Amino acid sequence: MIRSLRKILAFLQRDFLSEVSYRLAFFLQVAGMLLSVAAFYFITKMMNPKTEGLDGIEPFPWVLLGLSFQYYFSTALYAFSAKIRGEQMLGTLEAMLVSPTPTSIVIFSEATWDFAFGAIRVAIYLLFATLVFGVKLYATSLGTLALGVVLTLLSSAGLGILSASFILYFKRGDPVNFFLSAVTTFFGNVFFPSALLPAPIRWVSNFLPIKWSLDVVRGSLLQGKTLRDLRGEILNLAVLTLVLLPLGLFFSRIAIRKAKREGSLVQY
Amino acid sequence: MQHVVEASQVVKTFVKKRPVNELVRHPFRRAERVRALRGVDLRVRAGEIFGLLGPNGAGKTTLLKILSCLVLPDSGRAVIGGEDTVHEGRVKPKIGLVHSDERSFYWRLSGRENLRFFSHLYDVPRRKMGARIDELLRRVGMLEDADRRFADYSSGMKQRLAVARALLHDPPILLMDEPTRSLDPASAMSLRSFVREELNGRDGKTVLLATHNLHEAETLCDRVAILVRGKIRRIGTVDEVRRWDVDERRFRLEVDRWPPGFRGPCRVLSEEEGEGLRRVTIALDRDGRLDGVLRALLDSGSAVHACDRIEPDLEEAFSRILEEETEAEATP
Ligand SMILES: Nc1ncnc2c1ncn2[C@@H]1O[C@H](COP(=O)(O)OP(=O)(O)OP(=O)(O)O)[C@@H](O)[C@H]1O
Ligand SMILES: [Mg+2]
Repeated sequence: MIRSLRKILAFLQRDFLSEVSYRLAFFLQVAGMLLSVAAFYFITKMMNPKTEGLDGIEPFPWVLLGLSFQYYFSTALYAFSAKIRGEQMLGTLEAMLVSPTPTSIVIFSEATWDFAFGAIRVAIYLLFATLVFGVKLYATSLGTLALGVVLTLLSSAGLGILSASFILYFKRGDPVNFFLSAVTTFFGNVFFPSALLPAPIRWVSNFLPIKWSLDVVRGSLLQGKTLRDLRGEILNLAVLTLVLLPLGLFFSRIAIRKAKREGSLVQY
Repeated sequence: MQHVVEASQVVKTFVKKRPVNELVRHPFRRAERVRALRGVDLRVRAGEIFGLLGPNGAGKTTLLKILSCLVLPDSGRAVIGGEDTVHEGRVKPKIGLVHSDERSFYWRLSGRENLRFFSHLYDVPRRKMGARIDELLRRVGMLEDADRRFADYSSGMKQRLAVARALLHDPPILLMDEPTRSLDPASAMSLRSFVREELNGRDGKTVLLATHNLHEAETLCDRVAILVRGKIRRIGTVDEVRRWDVDERRFRLEVDRWPPGFRGPCRVLSEEEGEGLRRVTIALDRDGRLDGVLRALLDSGSAVHACDRIEPDLEEAFSRILEEETEAEATP
């Protein structure tokens, strides 16, 4: 267990060392993020705070959390497939898979850096929102928040690994990622409450981990709700995680097996 | 004698990837197949250096990848150190693979950072990691350049780093795919002596090495197998393979004069003139006698200045097999 954790950290270190040379890119990215937060501040001024589903939360912080977590989810979706594809080209996928480390750990760890970087982004969004726009955050139920974030991480890893397996298997993928990303954004309770959706399609959002993640994160950060208040949402999120992550790892095994049959672990 | 690498009846067929424009023009045509391995049997003994020789496309890399669990065979079995390769978890700690592909590292990291990352994957205990990496870097002669970016390395340095990586977990079996391909002659020689003296001699590692460099096989390997178009055509010690199917013996004679129309009990393979002497290479059948030839020469009044036995070399054995192969292909 400890050893696996160290391995995951080794991936983080590897990509950190690769990326530090892109400092300018990082600063430009942050500047862009700040602008988009400001834009949302003004857009949400046009919204009615009494909209159904906002649950008493101000539109701006509501959307802000949606924005930052949606970014997180779509990063997860793209990160696994992009990394694995890149390592196929580099020849490093083979180099990793010939080591005694189990394939599932290699696959799972691939996006560690992207997750960590995503967390930094979320933190920057929130910091900016509190400092500049006076959003009030509750620090009363950090445990609940942490639980929600960990489950968010694991469930989005599950989705990301699923989509990467799909790409590895069928060798084409952009439509999948694009589709999943669009679906999560539309149905995921991200920019508008899913309660606004017409009843016949509203059920879709219940199957998206991001909906429950956002309920938990908004509830604990913006309203100070406790574990007891959010237990239903956390349970739903946990169930989805328990389905998605093993499913993703299972399909990644199938995809890697196929690549081993075809000799396509390395590609030119 | 204990075998640590065993392949039995390994068959592998690849389906060639079809370019998109062809897919569009002939969507229902069956994809072309490449029979990379057509029933390969191979046994490598513990502690030997075994050479896998073969021309381009013979299937060497495919076989090594099957042995290292990176490619799944269609049929047949591969066993490493007593474990079937279907049990990846038990096989991988026993093998170190040196890829022929010099990419396979992270370009933006230094050599040392690369090795550090792979040490985690190879389960090197953290306390020993630093020392182990330093020792390996020193052994492959990369200590001084360890902190430069991998992207700035020469092909030879990349290759040496790949050897260091394969040794991180100190595996008893090394699979090397053309390890000297991009090395200059001096570095190639030093890598060969490193393999021979240190890895094999001192550490007792078993080495299975793919190469198409016959000289390398002759100087390095205890035994070799010649793989052509997915089948093993010869297997044995270098001497056995060299002499395989050769029932003639060859000699080079230096004579002052070769009698015109001389017909001794031999065949003349070549003749050349130099420094007032003629050098004639002759071949005798297995039971042909050299003294008969010499006597006939002396009787005809020639003086014989030298007579050397010529051993067949691996190169010849190799081209003979390739010839057989082309003939077999021409007559279906
Ligand atoms: N992934 C793959 N997909 C399709 N064909 C492949 C694949 N890998 C190898 N082949 C084909 O299988 C045959 C054997 O290839 P292999 O790489 O094993 O040969 P090799 O002996 O290593 O050659 P070289 O000396 O050029 O490295 C070749 O015809 C090659 O084109
Ligand atoms: Mg090869």
